[in-house]
Amino acid sequence: MRPLDLTEKGMKKVTIYFEGQPLEAYEGEKLPVALLANGVYWLTSSTEGRKRGAFTFGPLPVVLNGVKNVNGRTVRVRDGMRIERQSYGDFQETVEIDTGKPVERMVADVVVIGGGPAGIGAVLEVQEHLTVALIEEKGWLGGDLWLKGLPQEGFEKAPREAVREMVSKFNENVTVFKETVALGVFDKGEYFLVPVAKGDELIELMAKRVVLATGAVDGISLFENNDIPGVFRRDYALEVMNVWGVAPGRRVAVVGSRPEEVTPELERWGIEYVIVPDPKRAEGREKVERLVDMKGNTYEVDAVITSEGRIPDINPITQAGGKLTFRRGYYTPVLDSEHRIRDGIYVAGSAVSVKPHYANYLEGRLVGAYILREFGFDSTPCIYEDKLKDYEPIPFVHRRIPFESFNLEDVQICGCDVSLKKVDDVVRKGITDLQVIKRLTHLAMGFCQGRFCLFNGAVVVSQITGSDMARIDLPGARPPLKNVKMKVPARRDVHAE
Amino acid sequence: MPSKELPERSDIVIIGGGIIGTTLAHELARRGEEVTVIEKRFIGSGSTFRCGTGIRQQFNDEANVRVMKRSVELWKEYSERYGFSFEQTGYLFLLYDEGEVEEFKRNIEIQNRFGVPTRLITPEEAKEIVPLLDTSEVIAASWNPTDGKADPFHATVSFAINAEKYGAKFVEYTEVKGFLREKGEIKGLKTSRGIIKTGIVVNATNAWAKLINAMAGIKTRIPIEPYKHQAVITQPIRKGAVKPMVISMRYGHAYLTQTAHGGIVGGVGYELGPTYDLNPTYEFMREVSYYFTKIIPALRELLILRTWAGYYAKTPDSNAAIGKIEELSDYYIAAGFSGHGFMMAPAVAEMVADLITKGRTDLPAEWYDPYRFERGELRGRALQMG
Repeated sequence: MRPLDLTEKGMKKVTIYFEGQPLEAYEGEKLPVALLANGVYWLTSSTEGRKRGAFTFGPLPVVLNGVKNVNGRTVRVRDGMRIERQSYGDFQETVEIDTGKPVERMVADVVVIGGGPAGIGAVLEVQEHLTVALIEEKGWLGGDLWLKGLPQEGFEKAPREAVREMVSKFNENVTVFKETVALGVFDKGEYFLVPVAKGDELIELMAKRVVLATGAVDGISLFENNDIPGVFRRDYALEVMNVWGVAPGRRVAVVGSRPEEVTPELERWGIEYVIVPDPKRAEGREKVERLVDMKGNTYEVDAVITSEGRIPDINPITQAGGKLTFRRGYYTPVLDSEHRIRDGIYVAGSAVSVKPHYANYLEGRLVGAYILREFGFDSTPCIYEDKLKDYEPIPFVHRRIPFESFNLEDVQICGCDVSLKKVDDVVRKGITDLQVIKRLTHLAMGFCQGRFCLFNGAVVVSQITGSDMARIDLPGARPPLKNVKMKVPARRDVHAE
Repeated sequence: MPSKELPERSDIVIIGGGIIGTTLAHELARRGEEVTVIEKRFIGSGSTFRCGTGIRQQFNDEANVRVMKRSVELWKEYSERYGFSFEQTGYLFLLYDEGEVEEFKRNIEIQNRFGVPTRLITPEEAKEIVPLLDTSEVIAASWNPTDGKADPFHATVSFAINAEKYGAKFVEYTEVKGFLREKGEIKGLKTSRGIIKTGIVVNATNAWAKLINAMAGIKTRIPIEPYKHQAVITQPIRKGAVKPMVISMRYGHAYLTQTAHGGIVGGVGYELGPTYDLNPTYEFMREVSYYFTKIIPALRELLILRTWAGYYAKTPDSNAAIGKIEELSDYYIAAGFSGHGFMMAPAVAEMVADLITKGRTDLPAEWYDPYRFERGELRGRALQMG
């Protein structure tokens, strides 16, 4: 077993080379996980030269077999693979040109974006009468539920068993696209166009109805060096443990306002942890070696897991033309009485509000029932409406940012070298419009398209100016919803001029 | 910049706080005039905010070449004085057939005549300037090293801050709702924050110019329509990868360059409208990707981070309407820049300030005569990208 393996792996053992060093890996493992298992955390460097790992915000460009600027998060290891570090700005100057396959087109009654419990629920509800395309970015269905090791309220079995059981009920009306990203939702009048990228392929889905089951994102904890290798966002920490059987570290610190969403899982694996409620600074040469809190206590740890709670990913909502409102501490879509942001586009799951997985599943069923009714089939949305009432959405509590206690330059608000200092400087000059702050600091203009930094940007404005979060105007998302290589949309029949 | 209270009166009021209104306020204030800018959102928030950075002198008629030569002199002067970035990294037009070469030879001749040092270069020379180019189909290029680029928002804010130092006032988040007129004279403006008394008004609202003209009761036909143009930005890459603005009329009227932050930015000639809608379209993403990767194949492997849209405020001949409207004293217009207003702003500011303060200008203002549409004297179309 490798230093951080939690389980014996059944997959084929292979050798990969990181910076020339041979390392043991398993075929099909995700690259950053294979490196982590060997104790390798530092994988890339930001434009300003900050060392970065794979498990919190920011992109992960690596040199793969001599080819620069490959997204390390999507690479699955193979025998003999050579990986080297690069910095963000390095790119491949000579590229292979293949005209590739023509653009594929597919028609479905409903496109469901997001394969978590809500997306699965929507599919199960409509599949008997309608055709469905289910789009999932990850290599698995089940969303956040798939990351959990412990049984979850409402599902009687182990999370992954529950997911497998639900998915096994999909019928022939359902087409599942895994490792596929939706580039946006475009209204074509008669139908909605949802172009998706599956690897380097471009597929244009045409559907009468769209369900955004696009989920929530983890809040980012603000402390000094919150971006260094060895800092894990909750979802990545759960993924490495529960999906891949690899520990984030031997001894870890858990920070953020919701440590209880991580600690039972750490206990399950027997990983030693300490909860640090008020982190000030992570330190270490190439990775986290210690965490210092506001009182000056030092914790010798080899990883920090941040668990701040989750907030709906608002990007798909605003790109699709939805409006937002501020409730329970986060921005959430404005819905009509049938869970629509507008005619034909429904929202379900933690994209609406943060609540237990089973409630998200019910909400997916509910939205499916509304769609069935719209298509003229018998359905009983009221059953799900009633059941949903048993679940009170979980509020998001953001803590005051202790500006005075931080060295603001070391606190990263955004993965693209935007420090808290850059934002603080601009806001203190009296600039409080996030559009302007974006332009002046580059906040929300990078790879994550604001998913992980815009909320904290709003918190900074609110805290410094005393203005209500509800009154802060968030810039809307623009396509593509997720980064896509230019060759993917470029792949096409030659256009007449 | 903090937004100011609406003054009770101001000698001159400029409607619109984009690059045109801001540079004009700067020029007037510098000359000692009392001037107030009224902007419905924040300074630089309209098309300036969405603009593609380019500043070129490679036009195809005397007036635009002369105006842009003056404009580049002012860009150089003010960027040095105020410390915002204006890089003279050139404009490179890629040419693919003899017809294009002939056309550009004529343009170069006009440009040279008025002191713009453009020359025709070989594909090899073009590749030396931008090594990433695919020049396999290129037969020549039109190259002027004194063209350049600047960040439109930073430049606008910089002009505004310095205009304030000369006494100009900027009133943000304030919308003009109507005119107070008396016997063909302007007495003031009604705004969302009350009335401001004034005798001289400049309509510098570009895409919204028609609306302001209607409020002023102008009968002269000045056709300016908003069209949706879109832009794309890629992930940032190593600085200096694409220094000049690269243009390819052959491949979709594409323009692209690298921003100061490192991303490759640009657009193509994919136009929708007239419309005030600003939602980026999927069709644009496909067009721009297809054409850009033809011009620079390495872009194939770069990530698209975002697309967005802005307005080209277009006139029938792609030239702006700049001048005094005689039917209402004293009403001026500087609008309808048809996609190349940012680059012209410093010279247009000088031109309009001359017209207001001296009644005449040495710059060729007559080319942009607002009455030309009604008289049926359209100009040759200004060379327009995107």
